[in-house]
Amino acid sequence: MNSQPMSPFENTWRKFKALFGAWLAHMTVYRAEILIWMLSGTIPLIMLAVWIGQAQAAGGTVGGFSASDFAAYFLAAWLSGQMIVAWVAWEIDFAIRQGTFSSKLLRPINPFWEYFMQHITERFVRGPFILAVVALGTLLIPGTRLVASAGHLLVYILAIILAFAIRFLIAYCIGLLCFWLENATALDELYFVLSIMLSGSFAPLDFYPAWLRPILEFLPFPYIVYYPAQILIGRLPWSEIARVLLVQCVWLAIIFVLFSWLWKAGRRHYGAVGA
Amino acid sequence: MTRYWRLISIFMGASLSAQLEYRVNFVINLVETILRVLGSLLGLIILLGENKSLGGWSFHEAAVVLGVFTLFDGLIGLALAPNLNRIAEGVRTGTMDFTLLKPIDSQFLVSFRNINLLRLPDVLLGLGIIVWAVLQSPILPNLGNLSLGILLLLCAYSIVYGIWFMLSTTAFWFVRVENITELFMGFYRAGQFPVSVFPGWVRTLFTFVIPIAFITTIPAQALTGKLEQNSLWIALGFAALLLFLSRWFWRFALRSYTSASS
Repeated sequence: MNSQPMSPFENTWRKFKALFGAWLAHMTVYRAEILIWMLSGTIPLIMLAVWIGQAQAAGGTVGGFSASDFAAYFLAAWLSGQMIVAWVAWEIDFAIRQGTFSSKLLRPINPFWEYFMQHITERFVRGPFILAVVALGTLLIPGTRLVASAGHLLVYILAIILAFAIRFLIAYCIGLLCFWLENATALDELYFVLSIMLSGSFAPLDFYPAWLRPILEFLPFPYIVYYPAQILIGRLPWSEIARVLLVQCVWLAIIFVLFSWLWKAGRRHYGAVGA
Repeated sequence: MTRYWRLISIFMGASLSAQLEYRVNFVINLVETILRVLGSLLGLIILLGENKSLGGWSFHEAAVVLGVFTLFDGLIGLALAPNLNRIAEGVRTGTMDFTLLKPIDSQFLVSFRNINLLRLPDVLLGLGIIVWAVLQSPILPNLGNLSLGILLLLCAYSIVYGIWFMLSTTAFWFVRVENITELFMGFYRAGQFPVSVFPGWVRTLFTFVIPIAFITTIPAQALTGKLEQNSLWIALGFAALLLFLSRWFWRFALRSYTSASS
């Protein structure tokens, strides 16, 4: 054995490697369940079919969108919705209620990273299924251009990572409310319903009523699904893309401050079950 | 038969007294349901946008479909999910033994033992939307349309029950199937729109392969006076077939049940 003390960096790296390996193995076992969980986000795919039907009925295009435009948008929206899934509110709720949160607090790493890795590794298992559906959709609807260019793809990856971070932190904050509330997961459910409505899963935001658009701009929802999808399919000019990334960072900062405060106050409030 | 009706009322009473303890859940669920319906109405408004027509349906006619969708979403949560999702648990832990030993029909017991009254507002809201939307249409439905609508709603319920029951019964072979009904729900969400909005082969899929059209669109057609004669017979056929299949499937599944410990 190497007796030399490890550098802090090396130490952290080892912890993350261990977490990644363990959770990847765990998630691979649950691949059938993950496939079924994916079905709870079918709304964009259903809307894809509905809007293509509308475009056909209107003789080709609705509001300037052709069938293949709709296909590109909704496949990108579905892909984005799949990449940002976070159930951490339920995990925290369960851990606090059952008292297992105490043992997580004793580990040499913040439980945040354990939950984070759990979600990241799950994306690796989900990935092949997502690619299969997206590829199938692109093949079935001729003329669908899902990725505008390699540059757009790279920026999309950045935008979707930011979107996931926002969604994950929101879910984490809701989970932490469990320190005080009895029913934090119901709040996460409410968030989910709102996000389906307001994130652009029903239609590209151009189709939303005019009075609703300005309100949506001040909410995080469009920045989680609608704008990343628009970036991928190349419907935004670069200046607009820069603005979207900036707003995402602002949202991330706001929710991070909220998270830090809840985390500090919550641990003080926490009296473990059975302790 | 009267014995079974009496049992249903006893089961309901027991579920009710257990659930009255969770009043906060009730309020939260109510808020969620209202948001969900507002979201779907927003979806309809967005879709109708310029065309003013949704696969040949006006806004109010499409709202009847949405009402039927909400009604069945509620009924599934009220009466089906709290029962059928426990079949898997019973098979895994072996408590299915106690169900099978009771001196009443086992399919009846696993199907009607529990009721989740938290979801009652969904059912009422669904009915409310149907009544509101039907009253908005220029020609009010006559008694014939109304009774046809009710008959087709009963057929729809039989179809939902049959599909949900058979999916849950696969627990006897696959054991861990608590989430398998998401398979159905993933497709069912398409039922909030009239089936005619879908392009060609998707419409065929939702009519004959996964008969969602017969759950929401066809009853709504009857209520708005748009029903074609053929649809009635097909709906009755589907309902009878699925009820029969669920009975047969249950008996078939029980034959391969070996309890948890042996």
